[in-house]
Amino acid sequence: MIDALLQGLWLVLQWNAFSLMLVGMSLGFVVGLLPGIGGAATLALMLPFVFKMSPVEAFAFLLGMHSVAATTGDITSILFGVPGEALSAATVVDGHPMAKNGEAARALGAALMSSLVGAVIGAAALAVSIPIVRPLVLTFGSPELFMVTMMGIACITSLSGQGTGAQLKGVAMGLLGLLLATIGQERQSGILRFDFGLIYLWEGLDLIPVLVGIFAIPEIIDLAARGTAIAGDAPATKLGAGVWEGIKDTFRHFWLVVRCSAVGVLVGILPGAGGGVAQWMAYAHAVQSAKDPADRERFGKGDVRGVLGPGAANNSKEGGDLIPTIAFGVPGSGAMAILLGAFLIMGLQPGPEMLTKHLAVTYSMVWTLVIANVITVIACLALLPYLALVTRIRGSLIIPFLLLLVFVGSYTANRQLADLLVTLGFGAVGYLMMRFGWPRAPLVLGFVLGKLAETYLFISMARYGYAWLTQPLVLVLMALTVLIIVFPYLQQRRSHAN
Amino acid sequence: MRISGAAAFSTGLALVAAYAVLTAARWPPKAALFPLAMGIPLLVLALAQGVMDWLAASPPEEAPQETRAAISILAWMAGFIALVFLVGFPLAVPLFIVGYLLLQGREPWFLSIALALIAWGAFYLLFQKLLHFPFDSGWLTGGGT
Repeated sequence: MIDALLQGLWLVLQWNAFSLMLVGMSLGFVVGLLPGIGGAATLALMLPFVFKMSPVEAFAFLLGMHSVAATTGDITSILFGVPGEALSAATVVDGHPMAKNGEAARALGAALMSSLVGAVIGAAALAVSIPIVRPLVLTFGSPELFMVTMMGIACITSLSGQGTGAQLKGVAMGLLGLLLATIGQERQSGILRFDFGLIYLWEGLDLIPVLVGIFAIPEIIDLAARGTAIAGDAPATKLGAGVWEGIKDTFRHFWLVVRCSAVGVLVGILPGAGGGVAQWMAYAHAVQSAKDPADRERFGKGDVRGVLGPGAANNSKEGGDLIPTIAFGVPGSGAMAILLGAFLIMGLQPGPEMLTKHLAVTYSMVWTLVIANVITVIACLALLPYLALVTRIRGSLIIPFLLLLVFVGSYTANRQLADLLVTLGFGAVGYLMMRFGWPRAPLVLGFVLGKLAETYLFISMARYGYAWLTQPLVLVLMALTVLIIVFPYLQQRRSHAN
Repeated sequence: MRISGAAAFSTGLALVAAYAVLTAARWPPKAALFPLAMGIPLLVLALAQGVMDWLAASPPEEAPQETRAAISILAWMAGFIALVFLVGFPLAVPLFIVGYLLLQGREPWFLSIALALIAWGAFYLLFQKLLHFPFDSGWLTGGGT
């Protein structure tokens, strides 16, 4: 095994593979900054270019690109409040307030370093867990996956803020998100739901326009209303000085980063749970790890832990995602389904052969994840003080460029002009939510999980009737879900008692 | 009686939920189950919040200047979308940048044009040369969408 591990490293460091990885990383860097074209879409666009490559070169190119996109997606989330990737939306919640407080460099430093730690943990999980993860993947059927989505939905209580009023608004927004996810053709009966006679709505609303509208446009409106730069009147000396502080934050809260990475790996391993879930579960876990309600109050206003959690989970998820893809040919996400195409193009069969005959190729993927992230983080760290200076540019100059980023991004996700109207509509709603104190994160989480929850619930009912409710693993996950819901209240009571 | 923005928002949310519940109630059980399971509690919560907002003393409203700025930027966004529908992205990008910087940002001519050219250049290189991304033409510039 050690021989294969070293051989994998040697293969990645070969000139051809390494240079192709750098090309892929450069593409991934740019793509990560754009909201619409996600890592999965770019993988699809670049797939035709791998025909003449060897397997190691192809995976160095594709995985280098994909893993970097997850890292750089955090940059626009923090600097502008525009999620660079659907997977980096949770970083906006605390990352952008930090930028507004003049701590952009610290937030970026924390996001990048936690991403690196997450990527290494994800890669390590990939390296060691393939032989032992098979029973876990095979145990998870529709009932268990439904309960995983319920666990994600239960995180809404942690994303809603303190007090009964805030919880009420948070749960209501979560329900609205779940309701929005029902728009479009119902998969089992074929009934068109809430389509208003528009063909555009038959497939339901797409995540990117909703996400970008809800998060980015309110921030742009706020920037226009303030009439200042993003960092407002924060002292210029503070901006670039926080990079090392952000890096140190990662190690100050190292166990939180490790735990959130574990969340990312686990969600990544489960086929169908989706990357959008991991970041929010990690964010919710970061909120729950606050010592007391006063400590929790800091989240959403620029707490570095709210950046570390999603940053780590986003990148560790990549390693987790690869485990079922390589070991069983079961892709855990859309991006992995496309990567599976690359396996077939290369003439490789995912499954036992990847753990025996092609073990060095498998380990070359592990090394690609690590090396690509290390290089990206080093390159970004060198650029961070300059990137943070963007938050000093006056609003009137930067707003048209942010609007371009938002609308071009929304359009490129599906090539639908109507997505621009959806973005604007959700932007206006998001602004009103921000103005009247309704949390935006639960709505997005509900929307992400809605379709998954309904599909798994239907399959579970069709296959097992109500008997699925008594399956042992379902009961365990149910108990965990209840624990996630009641934990904030228990914490509050304990704090009052003290 | 003056309606607060918060009360109007809660009421709007309750109306959306009521519409969803009434609509879903007419569908077959399989299709209606999930929307009803989400819509009914949403309606109850939105009504509860609405009642609280209506009863609460009106909080100080946002300064008119900030509201004006919000409406203004939303109008610019709507203008950009209209421009995209009319002339397509490749032409709308530089036109919008120049327009916004000159009229809203009150930036000098040379800076506005230079920045618009940079934005257009970056857009062209990335989407058209590198990614070969096909953008729809505008209604005025050929073929519609």
